This record gives sequence, structure tokens and C-alpha cells, in this order.
Amino acid sequence: MTNPVLAAIRSRRVVRAMTTEPVARSTIEEILDAGRWASTAGNRHLQRFVATDHPGTLRALRMVSPGMIQRPTAAITICVDRDSAVDYGFVPTYPGLFIDVGTAAATLMLAAHSLGVGAGPVSSFSRAAVGAVLGLPAGWSPELIVCLGHPAADQLAPMNARPSLRWQDLTMWVPAVSGEGG
Amino acid sequence: MTTTWVLDEDDALELLAYLITAARTQCDEAAEYGPMRLLTAAHRLADRIASRSSDETRELVIGPLQRMPPLAVPRGDDRDGYVARLDDVCRAVAEHLTARYASDSTST
Repeated sequence: MTNPVLAAIRSRRVVRAMTTEPVARSTIEEILDAGRWASTAGNRHLQRFVATDHPGTLRALRMVSPGMIQRPTAAITICVDRDSAVDYGFVPTYPGLFIDVGTAAATLMLAAHSLGVGAGPVSSFSRAAVGAVLGLPAGWSPELIVCLGHPAADQLAPMNARPSLRWQDLTMWVPAVSGEGG
Repeated sequence: MTTTWVLDEDDALELLAYLITAARTQCDEAAEYGPMRLLTAAHRLADRIASRSSDETRELVIGPLQRMPPLAVPRGDDRDGYVARLDDVCRAVAEHLTARYASDSTST
């Protein structure tokens, strides 16, 4: 029997070309609801999601995001609420804040995939400009944009073609297992 | 030689914003992303001007440039091929410029 969770994990791809068909607001909300279930350090939920499906805002967002190859019809920007983080006693460079951004992004993208929506993460953008475009509250730092849209038939090639990796290529067993891992 | 406007204000603004923000992101990112960002800008400019350009310029931007995808500089063995393809596009640009601006020059 196929495990649907593993099947979804294995079949998800970064979507770099999207059609102009809008993503339904209800679908975006379902993806956002999945995001709140992502694990966070200490269950503190210091990440904030800023969602938009406004064409003009998306256009401006893309203009200040060199890494945004696709033209999304919706986007969720994952921010770190730095003021709240400081209130909890975290130093601004505490890695857990950014690890949680990645965990949230993975959850959002998997949720999108399960709903038939393509997703692609973008980290190359001017944080200052994105903050201005989205009108972010003081202390909210934009860290990652998850682009959403319906996948186009023709997808662009990955930025860097890499050979297929096996889990063994990425794993080291301790104690070492002969013939397994690096 | 007559020339025409090939970008409108929105097209130009998009490119301006891209270049400025790419300058900022490149401060933090890997060096091999630099050519990719510039090629992406070139592709976006090409997409915008192709329909309003002269036949010769259109041929350049839908031909040789399109054969150079906006990818990062590969690490390893593919790097030489990447540079060679970029050199090919540079030559095509130069040939177009020479034909457009210096076709009356004579070699010595």
C-alpha cells in the first residue's frame, strides 16, 4: 500500500513556472492553516505569515525579489517577529528562529502540493524593499517568500543541475556501518 | 539611423527595481549567482523589447540570448562550457552592434 504522506513528499517539486489562473482564497487559507501546525522551537511560534493575492502587490514583490523567477498568483512571506523573539530572550542571530522558517516553508509547500497548487521558495530579495512593499510592522523581518500558483506545463530547469542523491549520500551512521553512509 | 522607444515606464521600472535589489542580494549570496542575476535581467529586458525592436535586434534577443539560460556558474567541469556559451552570446552582441553602428567601417 502506498503511504500518501511519503508519496506527497517524494512527488513535490519546486515550481518555477506558473499559469495566470488564480489560487482560490479558500485554498490559500487552507495552506496557511497547515503552516500553523509546523513545529517551532519551544512551541513559541515566532514566525508570522503575510499572505497576498493582490496582483499589484505581487507585481511589486516580484520586482524587488531577484530570486523570484516564477510569476505567482499568491504569495506567503514568512517573517520572524524579532521583537517577540527578543522578549523570549533569544539573541537576534539565534539559529532556531531561521530553522523554524524553513520548517514552516516545508509545511506550506507540502500542503500546497497536496491541494494541487505549485509552490516555490524565494530567499533572494531585498528585505528592506519587501518590508516596504508589504507594509510589515516594525520588528517583523521577512525571511522567505513561498510563491503559490498553478504549475505551468513547461517548467524551467533547476538553477543548478545536480545528480540524483540517495539518502545514503547524505547520511552518516554512528557507529559506522560498513558500506553505508559517508 | 532612426530609433524607437522599446520600453515603457512599467517595463523600465521593473528592470530598475530588479537591478537595484539584485545588487543588494548579491552582497550576501554566492559569487556564481552574479552572472545568473545579470542574465536574468538581460532576459527580462529582451522579453520586453523584442516586439518593439528592429528586425535585427529582435533576431539577437530571441536567438543567441535565448540559448543562454539564466543559470548560475556551474562548479566543476561544466564551468568551461558555461563560459564558452556566454562568450558566444557576447560575440553575437558584438556582431549586432558592429552591423548596427559600424557597418561602414573598413578593416585595416
